[in-house]
Amino acid sequence: MRSADSMNRRLRISGILAIIGLLVEALCLVWSRPIAFVVLVCLGGALIGLGVLLFLYSLVSGPTHPTNASGVSQDKR
Amino acid sequence: MPTIAIVILVLFSAVLAGVMVVRPAITVSRAGKILAFGVLFFLPLFSLVAGMDNEMERSKSTAFCLSCHIMDSYGKSLHIDDPSYLAAAHFQNHRVPADEACYTCHTNYAMFGTFKAKLGGLRHLYVYYLKKMPLPQDIKLHEPFNNRECLHCHLGARSFEQGATHNADPATLPAIKSDTLSCVSSGCHDVVHNVGHWGDKVKFWDGGS
Repeated sequence: MRSADSMNRRLRISGILAIIGLLVEALCLVWSRPIAFVVLVCLGGALIGLGVLLFLYSLVSGPTHPTNASGVSQDKR
Repeated sequence: MPTIAIVILVLFSAVLAGVMVVRPAITVSRAGKILAFGVLFFLPLFSLVAGMDNEMERSKSTAFCLSCHIMDSYGKSLHIDDPSYLAAAHFQNHRVPADEACYTCHTNYAMFGTFKAKLGGLRHLYVYYLKKMPLPQDIKLHEPFNNRECLHCHLGARSFEQGATHNADPATLPAIKSDTLSCVSSGCHDVVHNVGHWGDKVKFWDGGS
């Protein structure tokens, strides 16, 4: 239960990072200044990248399926 | 893809990501997992790539280059009413696309030329925001202008190949083509932007785009 909570927390943080990154990107797209590209890549790209990485991490560190004594996943039975 | 479409895509992605933030528990189901993958992996990365591509295209525009005020004089030089001004003659006669005038001449037509041009642009940003800006007339090219950039369009053109001055000496044309004699060298096409040396008598053409 605790690991499910931590996965949900990671998904939330990942989503928040992605949202902030996407909003930065949207602002840069409507802001026609040369610095906008740098902000888009350095700030927007970094936030989105972090969000995606955290999402991927939450997948590999998430709760595993319960297994029986023979080690066969319940999904496969 | 037009900018407005990308902005809509980006905002749509943000809204969907918002759903994941509010209801992360939907990832318990298989459909929720697929949705999470689309919303937190595929859509943000796709939006980022689309946005960067859009910015890269926009950075080729004349308006983009002239949006730094230090470039004002160079923009103005495109409207000088004198055909001996190389940049003005190219811009006003649409020998280069008017909306990508700066990029067309100042990019590098070799391999990775576009990449090098963008890298040069980043250096401009660094100087513009973090260093002491030079006066417009003191701005110099990073490296001497390569004839390759001119020959990208002019090579094979009759006006270039059979031009009287180009053929006055049989050694001239091969020297131009091998970049040993610069097109913008003294006595040839040496009046390009000439910012800071216009004098009082220069007139401007305000027609066209």
